[in-house]
Amino acid sequence: MTEMLQYDFMRIALVMAVLIGLTAPAVGTFIVQRRLSLLGDGIGHIALTGIGLGLLTGTSPVLGALAVSVLGAIAIEVLRSRSRSGGDVALALLFYGGLAGGVLLTNAEGGGTSLQSYLFGSITSVSASDLYVVAGLAVAVLGIVALFGRELFLLCQDEEVARAAGLPVRFLSVLIAVTAAVTVVIAMRAIGLLLVSALMIVPVAAAQQVTRGSAARCCWPWASVYCRRCPGWRARSSTICPLGRRSCCWRWPCS
Amino acid sequence: MTAEGGAPPFEMTGGRVRRDGREVLSGVDLRVAAGDLLAVMGPNGAGKSTLVKAMLGLVPLSGGGTAIYGAAPSRFRDWKRIGYVPQRLPMGGGVPSTVREVVASGRVARQSRWRPASAADRAAVDRALEAVGLTDLARESAHLLSGGQQQRVLIARALAGEPDAFVMDEPTAGVDAANQAALAATLRELAAAGRTVVLVAHELGPLEPLITRTVVLEHGRIVREQARADAAAPLAPLTALGRTA
Repeated sequence: MTEMLQYDFMRIALVMAVLIGLTAPAVGTFIVQRRLSLLGDGIGHIALTGIGLGLLTGTSPVLGALAVSVLGAIAIEVLRSRSRSGGDVALALLFYGGLAGGVLLTNAEGGGTSLQSYLFGSITSVSASDLYVVAGLAVAVLGIVALFGRELFLLCQDEEVARAAGLPVRFLSVLIAVTAAVTVVIAMRAIGLLLVSALMIVPVAAAQQVTRGSAARCCWPWASVYCRRCPGWRARSSTICPLGRRSCCWRWPCS
Repeated sequence: MTAEGGAPPFEMTGGRVRRDGREVLSGVDLRVAAGDLLAVMGPNGAGKSTLVKAMLGLVPLSGGGTAIYGAAPSRFRDWKRIGYVPQRLPMGGGVPSTVREVVASGRVARQSRWRPASAADRAAVDRALEAVGLTDLARESAHLLSGGQQQRVLIARALAGEPDAFVMDEPTAGVDAANQAALAATLRELAAAGRTVVLVAHELGPLEPLITRTVVLEHGRIVREQARADAAAPLAPLTALGRTA
């Protein structure tokens, strides 16, 4: 088992898996609570245009995907909040426009690069420089979730109550969308744009089956890699996660 | 003027709201003084919920003005003085939360982003749960409770923030007699503590003896207004008007 860790690419892959397992469900909780479960999938489509742009301009596809998916996430949030009807058509146009843009730009680049590795991921081919970018982004995402968690929780429960509590609702809504976009980019190289949304949603959906409170929403699959029970944390129940059989549930600071 | 001589909790002058080309509120003048327990009544579609949401700035006015403690909602910053109880918790789907988690989220206006919940926060949540009689259900999933219990969770969330003024949108809708009695007991305590309460209701039921003022809305206008202090007539006829509509 430990022999595989002698290889650099395996160590990088393991760190990458831990970072993704840490960030995706943490963001996914708020997205599921807000009933935007397909947001990650939509952002994934848009990110393809960014990859195409990155390849075409000879810069990093990861940074291209980051820039375009953040802009796409803001556009989705604006469309969602402004339009009562017809919003879903606009969203569909944005999603498939993003997908088509990615294919178009990648073909225009003409280097024979396949989008395959971005669509389905390739965790063992992640480079060390990719890992540094992803680690930085993961810290940013977890920092945002920790800092704004209480406000995001209330916003996801009821937007009007959040506004009547004086919360900056528009800013927080954009913050969730942008954080989701960053998470999509983090997970893109490892598990692929088509499955990234699954890692944001499935652990949360699984946790719901076995827990009563939203303490369960912070399902930390990575914990199972290192420990079966985390001393000091109040583990409430075991949670089923794609990356591990047991994990710990973090008590939300306000509860 | 309020007892402290400051601005009143809510004051709307000539408030108009237009939605989808239809006027939902047509020039409402309403001043809610500190310590008032005001019931907003009227038939379905009269604009009751729109009125209270417009008072909080949740629905934009197309004409007239409104103020919360003397400031326009967009300029008002002291939101910890306001507790809003919406019509019902959006249930089904989403992530289930325990009763305590939902109630604790009512403290958010009083908490700093950079600090974890304090002992004072936890004590306020305990008091709020006790006030609505939900201490025993604190660890239960909020979405599995009955409609009346869920309504009490929403009231407890507002109570946890320890505001000066409450706005409750139909707190008695779909609530059985026992839960209405529990709500009346909570309101009695709020009244005794000098809090201001504005509530939307179809029927007052056990809340009736506590209400100090009633306004009746029809087609977006206030058609009747009655204050217990200066009107000897009981409030019952107004209740009947709400029921027949």
